Formats: sequence, structure tokens, C-alpha cells
Amino acid sequence: MQNAEKHVIGKNINFTYIPESKFKTTTISVLIFTSLDEKYASQNALIPNLLVHSCKKYPSLLSVSKKLEELYGTSISPSVGKMGDSQLISFSMSCINDSFITDGTNNVLESTRLLCEMIFNPDISNNVFKKESVETEKRQLIEEINSELSDKKLYAKKKCLKIMCQDEPFGIDPLGDIENVKKLDENNVYDAWQRLLTSGNIEIIMTGTGFYEPILEEFKNQFSKIKRENVFSYENKIIKKASKIKEAKEIMDVVQCKLVMGFRTEIAKPSEDVESVKVMNALLGGTAQSKLFVNVREKLSLCYYCSSKYNAQKGIIFIESGVQEKNILKAKEEILKQIKDIQLGNFTDKELNETKLFLSQTLEKVKDSTGALNSWYGTQTFDKKNQTPEEVIEKINSISREKVIIAAKKITLDTVYVLSGKENQ
Amino acid sequence: MKPKLVKNNLIREEYFYMKHPSGLDIYVHPKKRYASSYAIFGTNFGSVNNKFRKPGEESYTVVPDGIAHYLEHKLFEGKEGDAFELFAKTGASANAYTSFEKTAYLFSCTGNFEDSLNILLDFVQSPYFTEKNVEKEREIIGQEIKMYEDSPDWKVLINLLGALYKNHPVRNDIAGSVESISKITPELLYKCYNTFYNLNNMCLCVVGNVDPDAVFTSVDKKLKYSPPISVERFFPTEPKEVMNPEIIQTFDIASPIFSIGFKENVSENHRATTEEMVYSDLILQCVGSRTSDMYQELMEQELINTSSFTNEYFEGPGYSSVIFSGESKNPYKAAEIIKKHVQKIKSNGIDEELFQRIKKSVYGQSLSVFNSISGIANLTLDFSLSGKDIFEYIDILQNANINKANQALESKLDSKFSAISIAQPKNE
Repeated sequence: MQNAEKHVIGKNINFTYIPESKFKTTTISVLIFTSLDEKYASQNALIPNLLVHSCKKYPSLLSVSKKLEELYGTSISPSVGKMGDSQLISFSMSCINDSFITDGTNNVLESTRLLCEMIFNPDISNNVFKKESVETEKRQLIEEINSELSDKKLYAKKKCLKIMCQDEPFGIDPLGDIENVKKLDENNVYDAWQRLLTSGNIEIIMTGTGFYEPILEEFKNQFSKIKRENVFSYENKIIKKASKIKEAKEIMDVVQCKLVMGFRTEIAKPSEDVESVKVMNALLGGTAQSKLFVNVREKLSLCYYCSSKYNAQKGIIFIESGVQEKNILKAKEEILKQIKDIQLGNFTDKELNETKLFLSQTLEKVKDSTGALNSWYGTQTFDKKNQTPEEVIEKINSISREKVIIAAKKITLDTVYVLSGKENQ
Repeated sequence: MKPKLVKNNLIREEYFYMKHPSGLDIYVHPKKRYASSYAIFGTNFGSVNNKFRKPGEESYTVVPDGIAHYLEHKLFEGKEGDAFELFAKTGASANAYTSFEKTAYLFSCTGNFEDSLNILLDFVQSPYFTEKNVEKEREIIGQEIKMYEDSPDWKVLINLLGALYKNHPVRNDIAGSVESISKITPELLYKCYNTFYNLNNMCLCVVGNVDPDAVFTSVDKKLKYSPPISVERFFPTEPKEVMNPEIIQTFDIASPIFSIGFKENVSENHRATTEEMVYSDLILQCVGSRTSDMYQELMEQELINTSSFTNEYFEGPGYSSVIFSGESKNPYKAAEIIKKHVQKIKSNGIDEELFQRIKKSVYGQSLSVFNSISGIANLTLDFSLSGKDIFEYIDILQNANINKANQALESKLDSKFSAISIAQPKNE
């Protein structure tokens, strides 16, 4: 892989080209960052699905899907999520490269044009979307929100996050809520689409081979028709320490209890110390040799999974486990004991070095996946300087045991959430 | 003995294959420009292999459900410690999985490849089961089973298999139950290990930034020769008919999830050939893709949604079904429409334009798998253990024709042999 080339298309609109010919496909991701706001979350969440399911040129799911099949199964996937206190609306197009097609189709260019048709030229008339299309997507969004209850692990994590971050935008669900979805109509959804294009912070990332100029031109041309105003500026609310521990418990008809613990770490981007927390977190619960895996699972046989994840945007760590009701307290105590152990420096240099080696290898693998590459560069949009995986590896390797201990000492427990079964009550 | 180079010019991929003197099938697929490498070592032993005998044995051995999965967990433990500890030194990321028909152990890494490969080959060839370490795992696996019991997506599939199959062990959950795993002992684990973890019954696939010669040389040093073994895998006779046309389980969920399966009549131990696989995949998309009449009507009637509706060709030794799944406010009505369209396409034949489109799209999707070294390795393992070849798949797909597709469709998707499984919200 050669270096990524970054082109500025407009105010807070960047196009990054990552030249890489080892893949069979070209992948283009369009990431739109906007404020995470209760009032607009559902409106924005509806947009990507609405846009990829029809456009002016292909005005139905049937005609769009036919075109995608004709393009050798090009996929254009919508997604809604968040990064720190921002809502992230994205589109990811993946199509096979022209050199693997024998009938002369310009697959990459045609697929890109279809992506642009969807984003910039939807099926609207008189400044409104079609009522029927909006209603279909409303139904589907409500079903998607409802379906989150089917995955109890994810549900428990989201619930803990919501309680922990109730005073931060980060606590807002990027899909919004059913009440707000019901209020959507062809007018306010049109406004949301306009707002995303005029004021969103936009990153377009292309990983592919050969020509990219016509594709860059295509996007330039589309954005030249849009008047940019009130461009989104990213602000992250960082709560450094938990003032008191919030505890919540919910009862459901489940066989296994879910325990989720949320911690504040004091350290978030753009701090220079995020790598210290990354190493500390991996040592604690990020690998199959981590403290949590070895002690909570292997030594005490309390669970099948127990792991920790660090969110560097917000400086938050979540530890998750699935345990029996009677073992919840024991698991919780053991998790806290493992954190204490790192604070006290009870880990060997071997453990530390192995953790760093694991993290470095994980970072090196980014280059082998189009999706990971696009997301690597796309999500650095608010960073002062873009970093390559190698640069982060260098930082990881320079973290000393003292820095790990300092990072561990800053952790405070904020929220404990338990989802438990009925029979055990 | 020299490895054979196999190429595919259309997709510009190549791999080296060798049947090692030990009996092991070895595939090395170099991807020089990738940063990482991936190795997977698998055996033809999954949850369905619960009754078997070796030549000379009079009676069959019947083992508790979930033993293949239990063995997978325990194989990581060795006399000197566990394999994860060793992989930690090399920086590799290791894992394993058990499915209905196979068990596989794998790692991926960006450095120290040879050391990691040696660890993999060593630990899979060195079982160490004791009363103590087997006992320790019981609660961990018990929690894994309970985690799946709370997953309606998983249970709806397992329940469907239980409704479709009367006798075939595919009707049992891969991990077994808390009750069945309580019967697992070190002796039973050794019995399974010594029967199925024979190199003649296994396959090794390496994909990524590796030197094929070096891989073959280092593998050669590590393989423990074992005499060829012929295992008789017993499968009970399975009737054409389904066990139950319908099965319902309630969960704490907000909307129903359903799975409808169409059982195919296949002989015991039968596996689909590469050609059968190609046509099954094509037919599946012609019937259920977003441009099919079925999908269109289901969407118009608001009976499915784009984020959850999926289709699957579910195939293994002695079982084969087509399965459609998704969330639906009215699973019965969805099933009725699915059956109607299946019948329609069976009597009218596949539309030519649709077929040509689907051919292109299946080609594109198959090609995309070659982006990922883990994708290639897992597909190669799966194909090798079931007697298929990945390049042959691409070639047959290129030349696929509609007449053969219509012919293959005749023995598929018979509503008479279908069943529906529903996960129902408990308040309804």
C-alpha cells in the first residue's frame, strides 16, 4: 500500500484515496458526521436506508436491486452509528474491479455513479420525499429498534451506556426512539437529508486501484451544487471521573445474567496518553491472555466471556460478562480485583510485552481489509493529524509499565448494570 | 513429494496442494502483498458425529451431544499449559470453532508465522484430558450454552432443524445441553480424539504472506504419522417427511422472528458436489434475492424487512435444506407467500433475465471472498473437507446454464416437506 492521498473537496469535505491493487474490489465509504441530538437522531437515522432503497433514476427497491445485481452484485450498505458525541451516517459501496469482468462493463465507475445517484439525486419532487417510501422506512426503522431486544448482550451494553451517559450526547441512541420515528414525514425527512449534505462533516474514502480521478470529479461535481452552511463542529463532552456509582438492575425472561460495568478513565482523544489506556485495557481484558479472561473465566470458571473495551473518543471503558445470578457479586469483585492488580503493578514485563505485540499485530492487519482501511482513515476526521497504523504501533511500543499503572490508577467505576432472570428472584 | 500448483486465470488466484504422506490434505495459498497470514487446521468431526465405530469394533460408540465442541475447548489445554499462552508469545490471535460437520483451530498473525504454525500443529496433535481439567470446563461451556439459549436467532434455527429432522443428529444443538455435557469424561474425549483426529480425516490451509516451500518443510517436521483409519459414521435413516410442521418458542423480545425450511431428500452421509453447490446457490438467489417476486410481495405486504431477511442453503452429511429467515409481524402469512412463490417458480421455471443477473451477482460475491485471507482459508477448509474445490466452483458458475438450474430445482423446495419455526414475543 502506498500512502493515502487526501483531497479537500469543500469545507469539511475530504476525499481520501488509498491506492491498493491487491483487493478484488474497490470500496468507497461516505461518512457523514453530524450532531447527536435527540430531536434529529431518528430523522437522520432514516436517511441512509431511504436513500439506498430508491433514487430518481431507479425509483423502487426492485429497480435499484436489479441494477446492483447487473453490476456483478455491487453492495451499497447503509449504516447508522455514533462516534463520540457525534452521529455517524454512512454508506459503504463495494464492487468488483473491472479487470475481473470479461464483458467490458465499467463496473467501478458505474457503481460509483449509482452511489452518487442515491446520495445526491433521490426520488423527490417539490422538495419532499415520496410519502410511501418514507412510510416503508419508518416501519423498518421501528422494527430495527425493536429487534435490539433480541440480542441481550448488545441490549445490556446499550442500557449501561444510556444510564452512564445520560447527561452527554453520547447517551443518545443513534437510531433515535420509536416515538420520534412515528413523527417523521416526507417533509421533515427531506429537511434532514438537506441538513446532512449542507452541514455534515463529510469523509469520502476510496480503497482501490488504478484511476480515482473520475471518481473524485464525480463527488466534486455533486458537492459543487450544494451550498454548505452551519458546518458541524465536533465537540466531545468528557467526564473525567465518576462522582458516584450508579447501579441499575433489570429483570427479564433470560437464562443467563448480563453484567456490564462502565468506567471513566480521564483520558480521551486528543490526549497523548490514549495509547497508555489502550495497552492497559488490552492487558486487563482485551486478549485471550488478559487478566479478565485468565482469572474470571479460566481460573474461576465464572463465565464464557469477560472482556473490556476502551472508547478513546469518550475515555470510557466497558467490561462485559455473562454469568449466573448467584455469581454476579463474585464476578464483580474479581473484575475490580484485576483492575486493582494492574494499579498495584502486579503484572509481569512478559505480560506487558505480549499485550503490546498482540496490539501491534492487530493494527498491522488493518491494511488487509478494505473495510478496516476505510474506517481507519474515515474516523480520524476530527484528529489534528492523521496517523498510519505504523505510527500508532510505534506509540504502543513505547508505553512503559509506569504509564500503564498511571492509566489504571485513573479509572473510576461509574455504572453497574445487571440484566437478570426471573426465576432467580 | 512435490506440491501441485493449481491456478485460476479468471480470478488470478493460485494455491499449492499436497496430499502429505501422513494422509493430511495441505493447501497453501500465497498472498504476498498481504501483511498477515492465516492458518486453519480442521477435522471432519462435528456435532452430528455422535455414533461411530472403527473397523474391528463390533458395536457402535454413542457419545453425548456436544462432545465435539467440548473437545475443541479442551484441546487448547496441554501438559505444559494452554495454547493461548504460547500464542501470546508470538502475538498471533488464535481461535477455534465447532459446527455441525467440522471442528477447526486457527490463528492469524503478522509476524512469527512459523512459530505460530508449530504451536497450532503441536497442540492439535497433543490431547491432554484429565478429570480435573475436563471438570473445570463444564461451567464455562454451561455458560456458553446458556448464552445461546437467550439468543432467539440461534434458537429459531435449532428449533427449525428439530422440526425438519426426525432422526438425524443435526437436530441437536452443536454445544449440546447442560444435561448432555454432564456425561462427558476424559475417556470419551480420548475416544473421539483417537477416532476423528487422524490426519487422514483432516485438512490444513495456510493463506497469506508466506513462502509455500517453507510452510511445507516445517509442516513435514511436525506431523505425527498415523495409520490410515476408516471410520464408520452412523446416521439413522431419515424419512422424507418432516418431524413437525411447526414449532414455537416464546422469548422476551419485541417482535416475532421466523425461519422456514424446505427439507431435501438426500441419502445418509451424502455431501453436495461442487456443481450441486453452484446450482443450489443460484436457485436460492433466483427464488429469494431482492429482485425476486417473492421478496417483492413480502415487502409490499410489510411482512419482512431489508435488514433481517436472509436465505441460506444449509447442507452437511446426510442433510440438506433451503432456509429463509427474518423478522415478521406475521410469520404464518410470510410463510404462505414464500410457499406460493416457490411453487410458482417451480412450475413456470426460472426467468431467463433473472437467471443471468443472479449469475453475475453470485460471481461478484464469490470473488469478494478472495479479498480476505480468512475468507479464503475457511472456504478452502470447508470445501476440502466436503470434497469440493473453490476454483471448480468459479468455473462451473461461469458456465452455468438455466436448463440445469431448472432441472436441479425439481428436487428442491417442496412445500410438502417444509416446516416453520417461530420465536414469539411472550406477551402475545
